[in-house]
Amino acid sequence: MLRQVPRLASYLLTLWVVLTVNFLLPRLLPGDPLAALLDPQNSDYVFDAEVRAALESYYGLDRPLPVQYARYLAGAVSGDLGRSIRLNQPVGKLIRTHLPWTLLLTGTALTLASLLGLLGGTEAAWRRGTWRDRVLVTAGVVAGNAPVYFVGMMLLILFGARLGWLPLAGGRTPFAHYDTLPAAVADVGKHLLLPALTLTLTLVGGKFLLVRNNVVSVLGEDFMLVARAKGLPERRLKWAHALRNALLPFVAHLAAHAGQAITGAVFIETLFNYPGMGRLIFEAVGARDYPVIQGVFLVVSTVVLTANLLADELNTRLDPRLREA
Amino acid sequence: MIEAIVKTETKANPTVLLLSVRDLRVHFPSDGRQDGAVRAVDSVSFDLADGEALGIVGETGSGKTSVARALLGLHPPGTTQGSIRLAGQELVGLPEQAWQPIRWQRVALAVQSAGTAFDPVYRVGEQIGEPMRVHLGLPPDEAQGRVEALSHRVGLKPRHLRAYPHQLSGGEKQRAMLAMALSCDPDLLILDEPTSGQDMLARARLVALLRRVRQESGAGLLLISHDLAAVARLTERVAVLYAGKLIEVGPTAEVLERPRHPYTWGLLNAYPNMTTARDLRGIRGGLPDPTDPPSGCRFHPRCTQAVERCRREEPSLKRAGVGERWIACHLGGLQTLLRADGLRKVFAINGGTRPASEEEQVEAVREASLEVLEGEVVALVGETGSGKTTLGRLLVGLLEADGGHVVFEGQDLATASGGERKALRRRIQLVAQDPFDAISPRLTVAEIVREPLDVQKVGAPAEREEKARQALQAVGLSTEPAFLARHAHELSGGQLQRVAIARALVLDPKLLVADEPVSMLDASEQAKLINLLKEIQNARGMGLLLISHDLALVRKVADRIVVMRDGQIVEEGPASRVIAQPRHAYTRSLLQAAPAFVWESEEVGGENIALLTSQL
Amino acid sequence: MGRRGHLGSDLVFGLSVLALFAAIALLAGVMAPYDPHAFSGQSLEQPSPAHPLGTNDAGQDILSELIYGARISLAVAVGAAVGTVALGTLVGGVAGTVGGWLDGLLMRLVDVLMTLPRLPLLILLTAFLGAGLAQTTAVIALLFWPATARVVRAQVQSVRRRGYVRMARNFGGGPGYVLRRHILPQIGPLLVSGLVTAAGRAVAMEAGLAFLGLGDPTAKSWGLMMRFALNLPGLLLTDRWLWWLLPPGLCVTLLILALTFTGMGLEEHLNPRLRRL
Repeated sequence: MLRQVPRLASYLLTLWVVLTVNFLLPRLLPGDPLAALLDPQNSDYVFDAEVRAALESYYGLDRPLPVQYARYLAGAVSGDLGRSIRLNQPVGKLIRTHLPWTLLLTGTALTLASLLGLLGGTEAAWRRGTWRDRVLVTAGVVAGNAPVYFVGMMLLILFGARLGWLPLAGGRTPFAHYDTLPAAVADVGKHLLLPALTLTLTLVGGKFLLVRNNVVSVLGEDFMLVARAKGLPERRLKWAHALRNALLPFVAHLAAHAGQAITGAVFIETLFNYPGMGRLIFEAVGARDYPVIQGVFLVVSTVVLTANLLADELNTRLDPRLREA
Repeated sequence: MIEAIVKTETKANPTVLLLSVRDLRVHFPSDGRQDGAVRAVDSVSFDLADGEALGIVGETGSGKTSVARALLGLHPPGTTQGSIRLAGQELVGLPEQAWQPIRWQRVALAVQSAGTAFDPVYRVGEQIGEPMRVHLGLPPDEAQGRVEALSHRVGLKPRHLRAYPHQLSGGEKQRAMLAMALSCDPDLLILDEPTSGQDMLARARLVALLRRVRQESGAGLLLISHDLAAVARLTERVAVLYAGKLIEVGPTAEVLERPRHPYTWGLLNAYPNMTTARDLRGIRGGLPDPTDPPSGCRFHPRCTQAVERCRREEPSLKRAGVGERWIACHLGGLQTLLRADGLRKVFAINGGTRPASEEEQVEAVREASLEVLEGEVVALVGETGSGKTTLGRLLVGLLEADGGHVVFEGQDLATASGGERKALRRRIQLVAQDPFDAISPRLTVAEIVREPLDVQKVGAPAEREEKARQALQAVGLSTEPAFLARHAHELSGGQLQRVAIARALVLDPKLLVADEPVSMLDASEQAKLINLLKEIQNARGMGLLLISHDLALVRKVADRIVVMRDGQIVEEGPASRVIAQPRHAYTRSLLQAAPAFVWESEEVGGENIALLTSQL
Repeated sequence: MGRRGHLGSDLVFGLSVLALFAAIALLAGVMAPYDPHAFSGQSLEQPSPAHPLGTNDAGQDILSELIYGARISLAVAVGAAVGTVALGTLVGGVAGTVGGWLDGLLMRLVDVLMTLPRLPLLILLTAFLGAGLAQTTAVIALLFWPATARVVRAQVQSVRRRGYVRMARNFGGGPGYVLRRHILPQIGPLLVSGLVTAAGRAVAMEAGLAFLGLGDPTAKSWGLMMRFALNLPGLLLTDRWLWWLLPPGLCVTLLILALTFTGMGLEEHLNPRLRRL
């Protein structure tokens, strides 16, 4: 457990930086955006008195800075993230309803992309140099670099508009009531399919290439030659030895690129009108809904950081060389 | 001298042929960056009997590892050609599937780099047992038991088995790899450089372990190594590989004591070991480019005895004489440059005015036989009056022998015609003891060095000047006109002796006979001059017969030592053996009399101090 | 693939497409039939000889928008890439050369920045800084420099450890000399390919931001075009997407791919040891 201390310290430090950036940004930027909300002369003026009161109380602009900071930190820890200007609801509640959808989307896509990347990358590496491999690599580069919203658009047009197989928008059919769990799952799943597919396609390119390159370099190691000389079957060489070793940098990559999935999710939720955090923050930007923007940023950062921490821990479990202090 | 192997008792049946390799070729195709394919192994053939141990010796890049890998089918498809028969089954061209029952169960490989031979994410014990579980289908607990037994045999403890590869030391990993290789009880065990990178004690322990293992298992052994000491202790036969081709094959002890191929001989000379005091000497030139090997014999650019045919034609491995020795050389191996048989020289001490009676005769040389091989340095050692100078003159042809033969490059001096003799003069030169005596005081340096060319009428005068200048450069003297115009009395002893050597070199001789070349110089000059002689000899591929009374001095340069006493040769052999284990009493007394500094303990002022004294 | 002396297929493809886009951007004034801001036709016209890609909902020619869009994308790409590499080299170079506590501090900063999710942070910054091309460029550079800094620092450290740098200091060369004579030439190729790759990512980000409505509303960027197109109700159910949505999307994709392949080709070409596996 003592080993974890530096990692935990790093995690907490980054979290603290996130909180502080979140706090400082609106207060230090030119144009004083917060003051603008309360200035009747300003175009951003908030007309609703109740909302304005909530804003004043949350940001506490009349208090000295350190006091504001303390109140903000206390609020963040206890779950009070202010009130949405646009929807006049607590930010915390909005996040609670939107976060699960984003987790569903990114979780599904990451899992699928990782599985496909691991399997495809290993097979491609095993057959490196053949035309199949070259085609896959090019496809991987294209898939990984094509803008996610463009890919989403094309898929939406094809499957949603042209073929009508899948819904064009939303997380589930509006105003739907489900009698049974399977019915609920089916409906949610139908709406999840295109967004998840798009995100998977975007993520899989990079993961496939990474796994392929890692496996190729592992295949060049001496112990692979020895394993082959031992007469082990191809199955064992590929999975038990080559991929098992290539997993290590892959997990490290996952940790470092957890934010990539979030970026993709924002675009996709906007495009598909999916009721997740991405859609939330997008709508908030249009309305200058600062408390929501800040709240989403904070929560998303925390989720990413935690994922990072877990991935690091997993990495240590996988690599015996890292287990000693 | 490297210790020879003792015959071991094994369980194998030596009359059965385990491995038969014919015309094995491993060519890696070019990848666009270089001009041609890399011919790592180019037509190698050898046999291995059941339970026999064969060593394959060669330097880096000779193709040894490629041979090992070919025997397990580890090269990319299409690169291996020829025939490899394992107990009658053809292995070349087998598809990957068909290799699986053969790998590890019939043929196992222990690679050079034990450090990276293990998968870092699995425990060592697991990896040792892995082939057992896969090939033999053993249930885990039975496999575990066998793994523990195996590791006990190689000297590993259970805690090593539970550890991960990075937690083991280099030596422990070596032993673990050995255990892993033995896990399926293979018929043939291939060890690729098992001792490389290890310190001397670890090597010794590993070799001892390998001997034990070999005895117990009865498997055939193919030891691939450049560690000649390990090969000497572990193998019965040895094959020498150069640039992808076998150039000498034979029983290990014989090959190491008396190598017959110029390359093997050069390799042994370059091998550092504790029994010689001679300085290391590399083989001139460098290893050939594997994509563009030399035409004809691959070794010919570096060989001191190469002839025209060596450049054109590649020699094949042929039996040399009777017995189990095979050599790939057009000339049949190392050539004898000079051979003297039963030489005899008698001097009269009566002034020569009338025929001498028995009492008035002195046999300066009687029944003397010696040999100088191509590129060899032979030291002829003896006291003053032993007859060595006379023998030297007989060999060079300055004196006529009263009995016996001198044969130089196959030509008997006695039966040579005038013209042949003159031609011989070019090929064998003499440097005498006293340069002031051997060089005319009237001539200038330039004229001195040019004299042999003038006498033999070689080339135009301008060419002769140039050759003279080159010779002077070779011995490290100035070629400035001022120096060239000097006379003998203007030079120091050391300088003059160098001029004498330059004069001897100018005809590009094949054999240089140096009679006490440094005894009249002081110590520093002696050292420099001896080193110079050695350098020139190596670079030009000359033979050198060094006649001297100073055993300590010749010990630094000689390959073989011939000891002479009262006109007779009492002992001869490899320098290291003669010095370490002299057989004749006279040799022993010479050794004792040679100057040696020893550390002795003395009491000075109540304290024990170590002082350097002489044992003379 | 990628023999020394021959340009790899990646490089050939990437550079030719890049050259094409650069030409379009430079010659926009000549190539575009109309001023993209001008209302040159009826709204939502079908493609015709006068308007090869039709008009958008405001009556502006789509083809002209497309051509001028190249300028914006390339401008932001170049600006952001230069900013990223400059900042990254500065920080990474200093950290790698000076070492010690400064190195530790800077790398801690880099780590934190790299962990934060990019897009939400971008959105946050843009929301407070306001939309505008300059802001977009600056914000993209601010987000991408940490990755470059890491790589530069690693390279600088590795070069500094080499024997020839030690020797140069032996001869009396100061840090400035070492930087100029040995370090910069060694990391030069790295910076060039880094520039190109950063440009590719900047194009993607800029278009994405514009698509989300966070870009400069006055700049006719490809991303903005896509946004307006999608805003049209029922766009996907007609054929209109073919000439309004698809062209800008394809252009963005092509430009990004061109930059990516050029970056990959450059890496392979300049550092033959990284030959593609």
